[in-house]
Amino acid sequence: MSDDRRFSPEAHTYMDGAPTGPLSEADRSDADRLLQATEAYAARVLEPGSALTDAVMERVASRKTGRQHVWRWVFEPQPVRFRPIWAPLTAALLLVLWLTVGRGPESAPPIATASVDTVFVQFQLVAPEASSVSLAGSFSDWRSDLYAMDRENGGMWSLTVPLALGEHHYQFILDGQRWIPDPTAHAQVDDGFGGTNSVIVVGPRGVVRS
Amino acid sequence: MEASDGSVVREVLAGDSERYRILVDRYRERFGRYAVALVGDPDLAADAVQEAFVKAYHGLATCRDPERFGSWFFRILSNQCHDARDRVRPMEDVARLPLPASDRADAAVDRAELAELIEQGLAMLTPEQREAFVLKHVEGHTYEQIAALTGVGTDALKMRVHRARDTLRTALGERL
Repeated sequence: MSDDRRFSPEAHTYMDGAPTGPLSEADRSDADRLLQATEAYAARVLEPGSALTDAVMERVASRKTGRQHVWRWVFEPQPVRFRPIWAPLTAALLLVLWLTVGRGPESAPPIATASVDTVFVQFQLVAPEASSVSLAGSFSDWRSDLYAMDRENGGMWSLTVPLALGEHHYQFILDGQRWIPDPTAHAQVDDGFGGTNSVIVVGPRGVVRS
Repeated sequence: MEASDGSVVREVLAGDSERYRILVDRYRERFGRYAVALVGDPDLAADAVQEAFVKAYHGLATCRDPERFGSWFFRILSNQCHDARDRVRPMEDVARLPLPASDRADAAVDRAELAELIEQGLAMLTPEQREAFVLKHVEGHTYEQIAALTGVGTDALKMRVHRARDTLRTALGERL
């Protein structure tokens, strides 16, 4: 073995399988041994067998994917758990509400409340090199074909979309392929699948946080 | 004709969950060895692969490009395998491991012992180096293929593989 444990650039090129210049005897010997050892190791690494497929299918058979699950949850009867201790408290609360809000004409007229549940939000991205940019997010079921953005001057892409109140996650799609988070977003989160989502929070008076 | 990833994903999302078996078989075969080499323990690797497939199933609606299900799934699997490896195996000092064949440095070691050396040496690498080394030398991928899978540039991948080789050479020393 060589005293200098780092391989020369030529030795690395050699191990990459590419043509290279002459190697020192120590480099060649160690490189060959390392490749031989790695090959021996690779030969004994076996993939998990087909029993794993059965195990996975058994676990997913009784459960739906996220999209199926949501629809099923919406349309099917759901069990409700209720602690008996809450019964008198709930009754008392309803009585108080009825006494303060729901009584007859002698009660004060109800204050008009805004029924704002949707806010128009403008998304912008500077991407002069892109030939198309679209917007996808939790509000579009992550479909990339719903919100095509409009090109403006200076490589700016813009689109205004109606968003329900609450928190939304989104990304931009450049040229129909490259998904990128919003570089100007105030918060970015891991999407749990190795990617990054930008976060926008919409309140009744507009964007609370983006 | 083999069904494309995109068509299978769409069928599963439409309610035909049994079709998910196609994707599980396809990517178990394609990435299973990677998982075993990365985790270092076949049973724990199988658990990690299984969890990754179940997690992918439940998140399938968020797979934004179903035709590239493999790349999307690989990122889930990679995270799962790194987590599994972190939980089970602290970094080992290969220098303290016994010599493979005998205590003579010039002893001939057979293939099984060489393989054992690499398995021990992998524990000395950083997660990034280990992944790059496994994909390059155990799976036999090109740097371009690894870049497409991991999203890491080829120059950075070459650097990781080079450092992994240097680390293995240093760590294994005369045991190699």
